[in-house]
Amino acid sequence: MKKLITGLTLAATMAAGAAFAADYPEKAVTLVIPYGPGGASDLAGRALSESAKPYLGQPVTVVNKPGAGGMNGARFVTESDADGYTLLLARVGMALTPAVNPQASVDWDAYTFVGALEATPMILAVKSDAPYETVKDLTDAVTESGGRMAYAASGATSIDGFTVQTLLSDAGLDPLTAATLVPYKGGGALATALLGGHVDFLAISAGSLMPHIESGDMKALMVFAPSRMDNLPDVPTASELGYEQAGQVTGWSALYAPKDLPADVVAKWQGVLEQVATDETWLTLAERRGSISTVGSIDMPAYAKAQYELFNGLAKKFGYIPE
Amino acid sequence: MLNDILMALQAVATLENLLIMIAGIWGGVIIGAIPGMTGTMAVTLALPFTFYMDPVPSILMLVALYKGSTYGGSVSAILIKTPGTASAACTALDGYPLAQQGKAGKALNMALYSSVTGDFISNLSLIFLAAPLAILALRVGPPEYFMLMLFALTTVAGVSGNSLLLGLVSAAMGLLLATAGEDIYGSFRFAFTEDMQAGLSVAPVLIGLFALPELIKMIVMRAAPDNETAKLGDQKVSRAEFMRSFKSILRGSSIGVIMGAIPGIGPSAAAFFSYGEAQRSSKNGKNFGKGELEGIAASESANNGACGATMIPLLALGVPGDVITGVMLGAFMIQGLTPGPLLFQTNIHEIYMLFIGMLFSSVLLFGAGKLTMRMFSYVAHIPQTLLTPTVLLLCLFGIYSISSSMFDVTVLLIMGCVGFGMFLLNIPAAPFLIAFILGPMIEDNLRRALAISRGEPGILLSSPITWVFAALIIFVVTLTVRREIHKAKERKGEVA
Repeated sequence: MKKLITGLTLAATMAAGAAFAADYPEKAVTLVIPYGPGGASDLAGRALSESAKPYLGQPVTVVNKPGAGGMNGARFVTESDADGYTLLLARVGMALTPAVNPQASVDWDAYTFVGALEATPMILAVKSDAPYETVKDLTDAVTESGGRMAYAASGATSIDGFTVQTLLSDAGLDPLTAATLVPYKGGGALATALLGGHVDFLAISAGSLMPHIESGDMKALMVFAPSRMDNLPDVPTASELGYEQAGQVTGWSALYAPKDLPADVVAKWQGVLEQVATDETWLTLAERRGSISTVGSIDMPAYAKAQYELFNGLAKKFGYIPE
Repeated sequence: MLNDILMALQAVATLENLLIMIAGIWGGVIIGAIPGMTGTMAVTLALPFTFYMDPVPSILMLVALYKGSTYGGSVSAILIKTPGTASAACTALDGYPLAQQGKAGKALNMALYSSVTGDFISNLSLIFLAAPLAILALRVGPPEYFMLMLFALTTVAGVSGNSLLLGLVSAAMGLLLATAGEDIYGSFRFAFTEDMQAGLSVAPVLIGLFALPELIKMIVMRAAPDNETAKLGDQKVSRAEFMRSFKSILRGSSIGVIMGAIPGIGPSAAAFFSYGEAQRSSKNGKNFGKGELEGIAASESANNGACGATMIPLLALGVPGDVITGVMLGAFMIQGLTPGPLLFQTNIHEIYMLFIGMLFSSVLLFGAGKLTMRMFSYVAHIPQTLLTPTVLLLCLFGIYSISSSMFDVTVLLIMGCVGFGMFLLNIPAAPFLIAFILGPMIEDNLRRALAISRGEPGILLSSPITWVFAALIIFVVTLTVRREIHKAKERKGEVA
């Protein structure tokens, strides 16, 4: 009798589970963006929310939870119920921050990795009237200046700080003292600092720089991306120029969820992402942001791990954390 | 060119566009007037709707929301001493005393006229002066920015009320609180909990400091409810009164335009700056803070004057100056338009449409303001016993809704107690808020300037712009100190 009850209970639970899978999603899904509105991550999140809606059958509500290098929003999601109704628009910061800051509140693997979304190339740029035509010209000038040349970045251990520092390190310079870091918040402020001539160079996300490169106010010297950008066919990538560490640094977005997300919810979302991958809206919006859709083409858990290890290694090498 | 403009006029003057702008402006005014709901929130929430709209109407809607909410902040500042947006903080200083004197209608009308004038001048500057202002804005680097904001901080001397010392104490506390969270180099200060790592947001501090103490006062001190406050009456601003403040409105609008054109400053700092300037230079300076119409004029013309001008760096350079223009940049990109110098060549038709639409929106702002004023006059008939808890609820929900964070609600409640304590000790709240908002701009730019110069302080006086502001700071500080000495002598004389 007891066995029968246990069996029935078990069956009932499984049936409930199955019903859950068939019904998901029953209500709107919240997509948390761990950065402020208007930035590259915000645009990516809102584009995903728009493109996923018809395939998901429910709206995707976007919520911005900025702060602490993205850790605020990440923590909110990891502490939410793993029911598929709270998801995270993950950025490179989700792997980078715990890699460079052992006290970060969320580890790189505290999530269910649902899938990759896009690669967002970074561009090394100078003002158009600057006397540098190649990366070599720039690094030579940096060497001569004895640390006087300044670059703008969000912070020493942020992704746009690492772009410059890996380049300096690859060029045989001290990544921390060869050039002076001037911190700014946000892509707009960073671009303005270069436009106004308050800093000498920077290497930040393509989305914030493309308008100024197209208008002729800035020159692109190099891109941090796996391949050349369609809009800048003549600008070499870091790997092409033989910069080994810089060649591995790039920006990206992915879809994360709290750990132990039910398998059927993961499957549902992977199905949705598969359809998003060829969706007209998604692709046009990605192109306008200057990013390359990577939906379905990257093994996310492995990639996140590799990224974590890359930045952890760099942070140790550059002396941000003890070896 | 005339032909182009006529074509744009035809394209923009459709019923649909007008309805969109009316909805944007009016929605903005109401959101701005509700304590705890901010213009940033309105613009962010409206962004997804623009995915389905044509480029020009979608930008016009966002601009309308921004302008409307910046004006709307003054309504609650005057009626219930709670600035709906931070940029109306100085409006409350003179608006609420006027309302207590039973002249709420006059104050609201003055706020509306100055807002609309500021808005109109701002639009004209955007249309005719965008290029030179954008070039000027680009020249403002960290040292110039630092000096400019330091000068804006001298407004504190004007809003301190009776005691400069207590005003300075208040400002020092504001500066201290502004350092909480992550600094620009990524180190944490006062980050006792994980929530504190992100620092404190302006909205809960603002509402906590201004709205809650009023509510606590009513509960703790059983202050007599004065229903006079919210009655509007038939109080028009006379032509003479408007002309008397006209100089402050013009000056406020110009300050708003210039400060708005510099990325990152925004309407709040412009309003503080203009209020301080008007107080120093006006014949009526002594009455500021006691219910002077000119104070409202100075503050409101500047904050709306900044709104249109924040579009200057966005359109002319393609760089967003604050969160709101950041969201607008996003809206442009989604529509396939890239703001920046090229836009004036590739999409001049859309640019003209946008400009004409913005001029229309100044007129609409006037209408929406008049209507909203009348709506809010019904608030007067609500007994204080119902109004007080309702305002408190609105504050709590509004603050929670900004980023669905209980931490913000905690900040709101703690700041309310701090504000009440400050009230008991006679410490003015306005210097606290001004310092809290300007603090990060001052600190970040000082550190940037010193990073660029590798620690050499000479960079702070390295360009003509910095010289001008350094001279102004010395002038104002000398003036204030002399006035204080004079006051101290007078007091001594009275005792003897």
